[in-house]
Amino acid sequence: MAAASEVYVLGGYQTDFARNWTKEGKHFSALMREAVQGALERCEIAPEEIESAHVGNFAAELYCMQGHLGAFFTEVHPAFSGLPTSRHEAACASGSIALLVASAEIEAGRYDLQAVVGIEQMKTVSAAEGGAYLGTAAWYAQEAEGVEFPFPKLFGRLGDEYDKRYGLRDEHLAEISRINYDNAKRNPNAQTRTWYMNREHALCRTDDNPAVGGRIRIADCSQVTDGAVCVFLASRSYADRYARARGLALDRIPRIKGWGHNTARLRFADKVAESQNDRFVLPHVRATITSAWKRAGIGDVNGVDGIETHDCFTTSEYMAIDHFGITEPGESWKAVEQGWLEIDGKHPINPSGGLIGAGHPVGATGVRQLLDGYLQVTGGAGDYQIAGARNVQTLNIGGSGTTSVSFVIGT
Amino acid sequence: MSQGKPPLSPSEMRALLASRPLERVVVLGANGTMGYGSAALFTQAVPQVTLLARTKGKAEEGLGAAIRQVRSPTVASRARVGDYEHDLETAVGEADLVFEALTEDFEVKRRIFDRVEKLRRADAIVATVTSGLSIDSLARGRDDSFRRHFLGLHFFNPPNVIVGTELVAGRDTDPAVADFVEAFARTRLGREIVRTADTPAFAGNRVGFKVLNEAAQLAEELGPVLVDRIIGPYTGRALTPLATIDLVGWDIHRAIVDNVYENTDDEAHETLRLPRYMDKLMERGVLGNKTGRGFFWKDEDGKRHALDPVSGDYRPQSEFPLPDLGYIGAISALHAEGRYREAMQRFAAAPGREAEIARRVVAGYLSYAFHRVGEVTGSLDGIDRIMGTGFNWIPPGALVDVLGAGTGVAMIERAGLPVPEALARAARSGEPRRFFQHPHINVGRFFVAG
Repeated sequence: MAAASEVYVLGGYQTDFARNWTKEGKHFSALMREAVQGALERCEIAPEEIESAHVGNFAAELYCMQGHLGAFFTEVHPAFSGLPTSRHEAACASGSIALLVASAEIEAGRYDLQAVVGIEQMKTVSAAEGGAYLGTAAWYAQEAEGVEFPFPKLFGRLGDEYDKRYGLRDEHLAEISRINYDNAKRNPNAQTRTWYMNREHALCRTDDNPAVGGRIRIADCSQVTDGAVCVFLASRSYADRYARARGLALDRIPRIKGWGHNTARLRFADKVAESQNDRFVLPHVRATITSAWKRAGIGDVNGVDGIETHDCFTTSEYMAIDHFGITEPGESWKAVEQGWLEIDGKHPINPSGGLIGAGHPVGATGVRQLLDGYLQVTGGAGDYQIAGARNVQTLNIGGSGTTSVSFVIGT
Repeated sequence: MSQGKPPLSPSEMRALLASRPLERVVVLGANGTMGYGSAALFTQAVPQVTLLARTKGKAEEGLGAAIRQVRSPTVASRARVGDYEHDLETAVGEADLVFEALTEDFEVKRRIFDRVEKLRRADAIVATVTSGLSIDSLARGRDDSFRRHFLGLHFFNPPNVIVGTELVAGRDTDPAVADFVEAFARTRLGREIVRTADTPAFAGNRVGFKVLNEAAQLAEELGPVLVDRIIGPYTGRALTPLATIDLVGWDIHRAIVDNVYENTDDEAHETLRLPRYMDKLMERGVLGNKTGRGFFWKDEDGKRHALDPVSGDYRPQSEFPLPDLGYIGAISALHAEGRYREAMQRFAAAPGREAEIARRVVAGYLSYAFHRVGEVTGSLDGIDRIMGTGFNWIPPGALVDVLGAGTGVAMIERAGLPVPEALARAARSGEPRRFFQHPHINVGRFFVAG
């Protein structure tokens, strides 16, 4: 395993995930421009300083009839013309893959300052059409073709697998949803911050909360979201200059302390078959989490003060709870019942509201998670701040538990 | 000035929330739009909300409307209904918060507060959703405990969608009570709280309805179609001004501008005088969308008709000829790519009489908003946030940032309006200065293309 990373995070900017850019009459390029310009201004970095850019995006070709997204970065500012840029895709983990590649280039000494943009504009099409596009994150021909809303169904099966192995109650899934919505109310960029939700509504079994895939109901789902996030990653030498110019000690600038990255087989049935004799339902997800700990020099989940996890559905967060080792496998419900996941709980999960509450612009999510980690460990998370957070871990998942990426960010 | 104090920190808010319970809320006037909308909002955060109205039937109608508004039958599981005659005593007696949302009439509110004063627990908070009546006047003559626990909590309609909220502490409001309500509203109701002074129409409506009324005045000469086109979304607002008045209701518009006109005397006084034609048409039942007719209406085929304010007649919108407004298309195209600065520079330089009129209204917005600092809020920040999150208009400070202070000042001078000192200073210094300091409120979202 490689040595500990020396990749610094200088901050960034997230667009308001409640916005509908189609309704505003805006092109994809406006979304990119606002995120990047917002980040430059927030971090007080001159455009001329940026040496390279990486764009994480899932499916702009489908949603926006637009490819070659790395090149769009150069449209943001005249100083960007000529920069080396690229685009990265790994379904819902696209943003994290862009971060991984950018940080690897910094570790290799190629560049000192990188912009990483995660971006997705999804409200260009109907829910059904968008649901089919998302199906391309699975093995489309075998798992999604001709299926209405394939992903809720795949993650419904994750719940079924838990039910089979350990037992699973809908009340616990509803409570996960309730916490995410509650946290989102404190996050001024969260998509659902004005949406109506309470424990009873999350448990409601009428047409106001319809089933979309097995045990998955609307309140269990993350959102269809337009959004972009830009963060800046820097080498030690750049971060040192950046800190000095602001009168800060270098150790005040957060670092990516560790990372994990695994890819499992594409079909959900194959993943579950592989794990029949494992303690974990998705062992590759577990491996991603533990390898991030190892690289960060952290023993277990007690070494992080908060988690931003991939709750594309309540079942994925339920899975994450035991995969992080907050409980024994199959006992995630205990953490839910004990209130450990709340912002002031023992193991806060998704203080931002997560994908269910904050929103899930697919290619942007991994970058949004890292930015929220940055805000937490620098005390900048406002009303959703975890008191005294020093280390935060992310978990970003593409497909039905297929590509997993995790970062530990801390000071 | 108390509304200039720094925002509460998360740890302060945690301590405040733990300082007292808020589990039982009574909503008075629960059949009105603000009553049922607020009641629905409260059911997200507290286990028991009692909706009261003149009759139980009216309260039940309110509950039905609350359920429809937020599309959740679970509202009912946390709600009770009743009337003032039979249920006020018990409901107010056990309430932690009494939320008054009766009709916007001083006497009506005064009478219900007479009863609330006698029935409430000594520690119960009493809030009014008034959009501009004086908090001190409503509290005058009441006992110490009432006055200390009384404040304005002004939600905008519909409260489940619009998060901007004004918190108005009166002279005698206990600062700890105001802080507690702020903490509760921010963390449990997801509100963007702006502290305002107890001045007519507070901050948002004072600034917002000045612009809306000016648009209504202009409509007399230019007609509503042209006015809403030239002061359209491209100038930094989700909804055009006259369509906004139709949505709010002409009677509400009149109540707000009359209140401001009668009780203030500022540099833009005449822009707050209600146009005569609106008064006349209101006598004929024209009240905006709620009566089917306002500046605009849509027929059964979805065809839009517009008012001719001179004759009082309606004609299909297509029969109102528009001059060449090509500059608006060019600005929208820049907005579509997120090039807002270039777009607004183009606006500042656009040729023609219509562009000149649009700039006058925009300049009036800037001049009026900046001049209200220190009067309606402690700083520009409060006006900025309430215009952004209450009206969905570009905050004045953010608009100056996009235009540049020099361009903003030039626009105001050319319109013959007084230049606010803070703006003049920023323009003189030539230094790039940022007035709007809330990166979580995306300035770009206010510039709607097309």
